[in-house]
Amino acid sequence: MSISRRRFLGWLGAAGLGTTLGTTARAATAKHFTGHPGAGGVLFDSTRCIGCRKCEAACNLVNELPLPDQPFDDLKILDKTRRTDAKTYTVVNRYDSNSSGSGPLYRKIQCNHCLEPACASACFVRAFRKTETGAVTYDASVCVGCRYCMIACPFEIPTYEYDKALTPRVQKCTLCYPRISKGMLPGCVESCPTEALTYGNRSELLRVARQRISRFPQRYVDHVYGENEMGGTSWLYLSAVPFREIGLREDLGVTPAPQLTKGALSAVPIVVGLWPVLLTGIYAISKRKDRISDAEKQQAVELAVTQAKTEAEEKLAAALDQAKQQKEKEIEMRIKKALEEAAKAQAEEAAEPETGEAGEPEAGETGEPEAGETGEPEAGESDKPEDEEGS
Amino acid sequence: MKKGKTFLRGTGIICGVVFSVVFAWSIGARGLVQSSASPDKPRADIITIDALKSFGDLERPPVIFLHEKHSDAVEKQNKDCSACHLKEESRQSIKFKRLKDTAKKTTMDLYHAECIDCHNQTAAVGQKSGPVTCGQCHRQDGQVASSWEPIGMNNSLHFRHSKALDKKCERCHHEFNESTKELFYAKGKEGTCRYCHRQVSEENRISMRLASHQACVDCHLKQLALDKDAGPVKCGSCHEPAQQKLIKALKDVPRMERNQPDAVFVSKVKESQPVAEPPAEGSISLVPFNHKAHEGYNDTCRVCHHAEMNACAQCHTMEGAKDGRHIKLAQAMHQLGSNQSCIGCHERNQKKPECAGCHNSISRTRVFEETESCRMCHVPARQTVAGAETVLDPENKMLAAMLLEERKPTYTPYPDEEIPEKVIIKAISDQYGPAELPHQKIVKTLVANIQNNKIAGYFHRDAGTLCQGCHHASPETRKPPKCSSCHGKPFDANNPLRPGLMAAYHQQCMECHSAMGLSKPKATDCTGCHKRK
Repeated sequence: MSISRRRFLGWLGAAGLGTTLGTTARAATAKHFTGHPGAGGVLFDSTRCIGCRKCEAACNLVNELPLPDQPFDDLKILDKTRRTDAKTYTVVNRYDSNSSGSGPLYRKIQCNHCLEPACASACFVRAFRKTETGAVTYDASVCVGCRYCMIACPFEIPTYEYDKALTPRVQKCTLCYPRISKGMLPGCVESCPTEALTYGNRSELLRVARQRISRFPQRYVDHVYGENEMGGTSWLYLSAVPFREIGLREDLGVTPAPQLTKGALSAVPIVVGLWPVLLTGIYAISKRKDRISDAEKQQAVELAVTQAKTEAEEKLAAALDQAKQQKEKEIEMRIKKALEEAAKAQAEEAAEPETGEAGEPEAGETGEPEAGETGEPEAGESDKPEDEEGS
Repeated sequence: MKKGKTFLRGTGIICGVVFSVVFAWSIGARGLVQSSASPDKPRADIITIDALKSFGDLERPPVIFLHEKHSDAVEKQNKDCSACHLKEESRQSIKFKRLKDTAKKTTMDLYHAECIDCHNQTAAVGQKSGPVTCGQCHRQDGQVASSWEPIGMNNSLHFRHSKALDKKCERCHHEFNESTKELFYAKGKEGTCRYCHRQVSEENRISMRLASHQACVDCHLKQLALDKDAGPVKCGSCHEPAQQKLIKALKDVPRMERNQPDAVFVSKVKESQPVAEPPAEGSISLVPFNHKAHEGYNDTCRVCHHAEMNACAQCHTMEGAKDGRHIKLAQAMHQLGSNQSCIGCHERNQKKPECAGCHNSISRTRVFEETESCRMCHVPARQTVAGAETVLDPENKMLAAMLLEERKPTYTPYPDEEIPEKVIIKAISDQYGPAELPHQKIVKTLVANIQNNKIAGYFHRDAGTLCQGCHHASPETRKPPKCSSCHGKPFDANNPLRPGLMAAYHQQCMECHSAMGLSKPKATDCTGCHKRK
């Protein structure tokens, strides 16, 4: 079966309209969501992390990801800064230049499982969902591969299976959703030898973090990263040095991502709803304008034509009148002349009686046809209105 | 054809403009690099000439003046300091060619005339000389990296000076008579210069900077003029960190002779409480303090006597007073993180590698949680001294000394046979085999660290105190409970701060090793402690 371009675009438009109307109201809510009650999270304490990569190995194992080229016990890989990819949900990086003065520090990178995830708010097919466990999960079956989530994420976490031609998926840490749903620990947390990763209820973790800071005020920066960043994340961080020194962005602010796009997104249904009306209106107005101007033009032409006609008729009448008068005058003159000639002839006849009667029939024949020819007017041609066209 | 020509001409013009811009930029950039990069290494003799500041805002950037460059040049010309500095009552002024800043114009003209004149003259005889145009001295970008470090009179230097001056304290120490506006010497009232001479000059007292350069450098110069052994006169000799290290430091500095006590009771001063109340039954308000010993722990008196050479309680009264900025005596003695308080200083001691292994993981708040530790310093005001029930007199220094005599480092460890030699940790062996902890070796190392340390020897009272570094939550006992008695599965909701057994082991071993600066075994070297399975 083949579909026409027109039909495909039609479907796309309908789908777009449907999703915007259906979900923006939820994502664009102005209410600050502070997490599902009892939702889990992980507290990462960078003062305890030794950079052993056990978490990376466990993550690879429990998520059944392909084994990397370099084995997990090879710590030389820490010499370079890495990021997550479609085959690696988490990486540990080393930060040598920091202000702690006690050697290198380490930080684990993975999805932070935001309380109000940017990826979910950017996804128009609702492939991402903030579950009641705290995990942000992904449903590949509805994903259309637009990768808006990858652009939306402030932590640059979701990655794409570019090497898969037919069924590429967006990949990221799931907070071991299948495991935590069964009451197990996330793979990384379970494998951490120093409890640099602590799994628990997010609100409880915040209390733990605060207590650690207050018990060892000289050891920690007095801030729990993730408590409010981007509206709060399920992963929380403690550090001995300013968080930017262990690669965490300090410029994100505390506004959840959906709120940043709320204004624009909430305008979408209105725009989508109003556009047909608006466009039709604009079309109707421009049509009407054309029609009116056409009508006006026609009217003007008609007016001009009638004006010209009447003027011509008037001129014709005047000319005819004049011709008539001239004719009458000439007739009179000819009659006069004829009469005079007749009188003269009579007088000659009186003198010579045999020629006097012959003058009368001659005058009647010559006078009439001459007057008829000269009186013909030509006003119809010369007075034709030329400027009406332009007006 | 005509069109082609116009095009070529246009291209030519554009290329020309681009080239000239690039050229100009490269020259500018090079110039910038040359001027901003200082060819010299950091210096300690940078003087910023901004004398006109006192007359209002500066019109041009202040001049960066390198003193040693000039003093060397002057020396080369066989001139002395008087080439630039005038004498004021037999003392050399530290100002340039004047004694006082009279007016803006005069001061400005003086600098301009004298500097440029000298630079011109030097250049005239063919020697390397300084700048003569405005912008060469008044430079926005003329910053030179500074290595300047402050210097103070420590106990060693003080002793060397008092010895050199035949203990004539009056040569340096003085007081100011408010009514006669004169300096006089008061025997027994000598204090640190900084008590009066502060950061900036005030009415009737010059700044510390002025005072020290006037007094120290002038005296050193006079000694030099007499061909005697004298102190430094060049900037770097005092202020350059590398040269500061070369200053001779005596190992055993004899005590300062200012009638300070050997031992005192830290307590309220009598005058502040005219009616002498007998201390209440059970009061432990008195603390005998070993003044003599503490003199040796610090290299100047002003570490503790930060504002006055007096008893702490003079300003820091029990209730707090204005003189002591309302810091009460108890706060002044107990404040954590303070350089002057007893506990603040003792706490700093715990940061040494040999102490930090244990103390790093002891919560800071614990200091005040254990009330038993109060008695380590405080003594009951009523007690039996030499077989007789006495009420201690806070003024009785002899008594304080006697009580201090009893305070000796008492730490004696458990006998070797009672200390397990090895501990095999196998409770959670999974991926790796059991870890073998060289228990006795660890204990012996810690014991050795303590026994060389007087304060540690005193505060680690019992044989079991030291064990608490690791066996932290149990009372001092010969047989502390196993780690697994408390630590079990991780993330116990009832005890969220308590790590699981595996993390408890790892955290304690690794934190201690890193705090003590032990690099082996590395934290990530699993087989350094565990056998591979």
